[in-house]
Amino acid sequence: METLSGIIDNYYYMVAIILFVIGMYTMLTHSNLIKKVIAMNIMDASVFLMFVAVGYAHGSQAPIIREGADVFYANPLPGALILTGIVVAVSVTAYALSLVVKIYRYYETCDYDEICEIRSRE
Amino acid sequence: MGESTVIAILITIVGFPIIMTPVIMYSCRISDKLRNILVIITSAIAFGLSLSLYPFVIGGGEIQFTLFEVLPNLEISLRLDLLSFCLAILASFIWFLCAIYSLDYMAKEHACGRYYPVFIFTLGSCQGIFFAGDLFSLFVFFELMSLIAYILVIHEETEEALKAGYKYLVMTIIGGLALFFGMIIIFEIGGTVSLGVGVIVQENSLLAFIAFICFLIGFGMKAGMFPLHVWLPDAHPVAPSPASALLSGIMLKTGAYGLIRVIFHVFSPELMQSGGWDTVMGVLAVITILLGSAVALTQSDIKRRLAYSSISQLGYVLLGLSILNENAIIGAVFHIFSHAFMKSVLFLAAGAIIWNTGKRQIADLQGIGRQMPITLGCFSIAAFAMIGIPPLNGFLSKWTLALGALDANMAIYVFVLLVSSLLNALYYLPIIIPGYFEMPGGGGAGHGHEHDQEEHHEIKFDIKEAAPLMLAVMIVLALCTFIFGLTPNNVAFNLSRLTAEYLLMGGF
Amino acid sequence: MGLSEHFPALIIAVFLAAAFLSPLIYRWARYLSAAYLVATLVAAFGMVIALLIQVQQGGPVYYHMGGWPPPWGIEFKADPLRLYVLLVVIGVSLWVFIYALRDLQHELKKALIGWYYTLFAVLVGSMAGIALTNDLFNLFVLMEICAISACAIISIKEDRECLEASFKYLIMSAMGTGCFLLGVVMLYMVTGYLNYSFMQAELVEAFNYYPRNIFTAAALFIVAFGTKAALFPLHVWLPDAHASAPSPSSAMLSGVVIKIYAFGLFLMFYEVFPPELLRTIPLNEIVLWLASLGALFGSVYAMLQSDLKKMLAFSSIGQIAYIFMGIGFHHDLAMVGGFYHLMVHAVTKAMLFMAAGVIIYSTGIRKIEDLAGIGRVLPVTMIAFSIGSASMVGLPGTGGLISKWFLALSALEIGRPIFVLVILASSLLNAVYYMPIVINAFMHHNEFGNNFKPVPRVMKICMIVGMIFVVISGFYTTPVVNLLEQAAELFF
Repeated sequence: METLSGIIDNYYYMVAIILFVIGMYTMLTHSNLIKKVIAMNIMDASVFLMFVAVGYAHGSQAPIIREGADVFYANPLPGALILTGIVVAVSVTAYALSLVVKIYRYYETCDYDEICEIRSRE
Repeated sequence: MGESTVIAILITIVGFPIIMTPVIMYSCRISDKLRNILVIITSAIAFGLSLSLYPFVIGGGEIQFTLFEVLPNLEISLRLDLLSFCLAILASFIWFLCAIYSLDYMAKEHACGRYYPVFIFTLGSCQGIFFAGDLFSLFVFFELMSLIAYILVIHEETEEALKAGYKYLVMTIIGGLALFFGMIIIFEIGGTVSLGVGVIVQENSLLAFIAFICFLIGFGMKAGMFPLHVWLPDAHPVAPSPASALLSGIMLKTGAYGLIRVIFHVFSPELMQSGGWDTVMGVLAVITILLGSAVALTQSDIKRRLAYSSISQLGYVLLGLSILNENAIIGAVFHIFSHAFMKSVLFLAAGAIIWNTGKRQIADLQGIGRQMPITLGCFSIAAFAMIGIPPLNGFLSKWTLALGALDANMAIYVFVLLVSSLLNALYYLPIIIPGYFEMPGGGGAGHGHEHDQEEHHEIKFDIKEAAPLMLAVMIVLALCTFIFGLTPNNVAFNLSRLTAEYLLMGGF
Repeated sequence: MGLSEHFPALIIAVFLAAAFLSPLIYRWARYLSAAYLVATLVAAFGMVIALLIQVQQGGPVYYHMGGWPPPWGIEFKADPLRLYVLLVVIGVSLWVFIYALRDLQHELKKALIGWYYTLFAVLVGSMAGIALTNDLFNLFVLMEICAISACAIISIKEDRECLEASFKYLIMSAMGTGCFLLGVVMLYMVTGYLNYSFMQAELVEAFNYYPRNIFTAAALFIVAFGTKAALFPLHVWLPDAHASAPSPSSAMLSGVVIKIYAFGLFLMFYEVFPPELLRTIPLNEIVLWLASLGALFGSVYAMLQSDLKKMLAFSSIGQIAYIFMGIGFHHDLAMVGGFYHLMVHAVTKAMLFMAAGVIIYSTGIRKIEDLAGIGRVLPVTMIAFSIGSASMVGLPGTGGLISKWFLALSALEIGRPIFVLVILASSLLNAVYYMPIVINAFMHHNEFGNNFKPVPRVMKICMIVGMIFVVISGFYTTPVVNLLEQAAELFF
């Protein structure tokens, strides 16, 4: 019973982990290169989701200073970190996609299994 | 002779040949004669310097000197005591003579520009092994010498030589790794691997036994001990003959030297006897002796037969080491001396025959005595020494070993020695007797038949001997077997006796 | 001097500056661009030495970026161990770069050489940052920069194999990064800090309340750093990536990039996680056993290879396993051995890849069986290869023996002699595939007359420097060993 209530209360974390596993599984097993890049993004996004969810406290305000002595702010640090993380993920995605474009030009296919077959024939 | 002089001499003996190696390599480009002269001078200097240490060592002097520290408690050090002096002087003497022999032998061979520098380098590293003051330096020089000697083994560059060389190399590396393991265990148990601090391992334990087995594997592989001898019959025959003489004569002894150091300076004889380890060594030694001799009987190539004979003769040394009383150690050390002389003559003579006539199979060697009587004469003297006929040095070493065996109440060892002597006779006499008394060309091919019909009633000498330098070396070494065996009161035997006393006294 | 206070940040900043300015300078004055990067590397090396002297006397130096104190600001820490790794990284990078100056013209398209310098500068700068940083998120950012630039210096060659290999590396690395980030989140959840020192102080308490979080984070870190540093089952990207890259890239990748991640794992285990973690759950056992398997299997795979650079890449897998064994033993001597091996293997593997690069530059040969007799036309190269092989096997007189000595000694000290057998068996397997190359190179005769390009002097000098270093590191070990032993005392 406690476990179930724990899961339901922390559903942000659960969704984040499920997305992480989906992303990792897809990245490793599916053979289409673009799918791998998308999965990498899903994986990173899930971790960012978890990070931001960690920073939230129930009933808190956005972390912008306003008048009033006893205002309960959410933690701004995760948000800042996530912005950095998103930038990093975007740059990795850009580089990965440029590689995919170049690979497509050489191998005429975006499918990793076919690429391996072409390489083993050489 | 002051200590610093001795240290300087030791460093020179080890370092000078190693430094001369690139010099000799470059002198090949200038002229062959210059290179030959440099080789002779280098080996002569090494021998002379070793000889000059004699008064110091006989006077009871002993030096342990640290050169520098590699890691805490792990240093490169030099040591001079009776045992290292014995082997160093033996090694430099044989090397010097083999250098002279090589001058004529290699004149017919290729790649001398590679042979001579390697020859001198192995001299330097061999002296480094004998003068090493701790197990780590011993290990460094041991690996160095073994790996560089590979170049001598594959000198001919034939298919056979390369295969033999590969087997040699793999076993050398396995032996080196076993030595490393043993050394690490000793360092772990005792905190040091220096040979100058007395007995390192005080008590028996599983770890110490594993270390002993590792040392047996590492050094025994080099010495051709029973299960690890498989490289020897392939590697020694394919090398050029002076290199074979050195391999069989000296390099096998480095393995025996390592075992002596391990028994006396790392584990003490008492520890070995209490743990029953000497029985292990004894059993392996007996198997080595009998196996070596037995298989030698079946070989038809003369150098392979001599290689198997080396295996069995090193077994004598191991037997002496396993008995661990005074006479046995004297016998073991003296056998190191005498076997070096005997086997060198045998290999050099075989080499002279191959150089002159190209014949390697024993069946083809019938009547070779008419062509090369002196060569075969030296071969015969050395063979008789091997069989153990007095007054040659082989008899003296077997006698001492037998005395040691009886002192320890192991009459079975005496029996083994006798059987092995008989086997020695069985495989040497068929080379010598047909060599002198049969007609040449009588084996296998029938092309001598026409000559037979005309000359079979005459013993005709058709002397076409080996080159003079080769002959001179062989005669000198054969005389040595004679001189050092005539009476027990000769230099080598006295040195052996002093060494045995010194070792049994605790190595100080 | 006011500038010396900022050395930790400057070391990274000069590389980023070089990265930006390099393509600009390359457009106008080509030679100046390379010289500028060499000057940057030398300056960084000098700064590291100055920092090392300062740290040896005064204790660790903490640098706060922008003057903002932690836990709000990013902190860099300079202590002897990190500076040692930094010294190895920058030293080897400088050496490989000097080698690369001639080799790149042969391997890359002309227009891309300037961009290669940029990527090189970014790579070295990011590795310097990984070694110096004291903040987990900063580590994440720098690790990603390192990953992108490492993949980019492979794919810059722009032929079929290297593109696919680079993509595989990027995807595996991204997986590792995802795991790492998840681990950081786990730790942040229970401590609220991202700074190593603060986090360790918090974790000591938090370990009692949230052991599972910390355990998961540790497991994720092993996967993350293991993937990036080619620990045994996660090494699958390495052979293709290192073999198809241009030679200076291979030298850098095999030499320093995988080491810096092993160092990252070490820092995680010993500077971030509390000591109770490793005492309660022996995670280092996992690393130890995986490393043992890696040491054996790396060599087994290497024996089956026919391409020279692929063989060297598989050999890297086996050798990096030694460093992981050093981390996994949880003993101070093992740490000394592992870090000594970091330095020795960085130099040796870089030298071996340089030798392979020279062979490819000079004769175009990549297959091992075609290498017969090459020692007669390329003597310096093959002697360098022989000495490098001797160090890989662990023959005495080379640095490889010293690191194996320490690892074997620590295996005996913790009472597990089986790992000594693993080390010896892997040495033997190393010998089995290195020795035939060396022997064949010198023994046979072969004609290479057709397209034999003479070796530039710069490359020869680089290899001779490498040889001298390998031999010296086998004998003159005192300064490094003292530094490492002092550093080890802080952890154990």
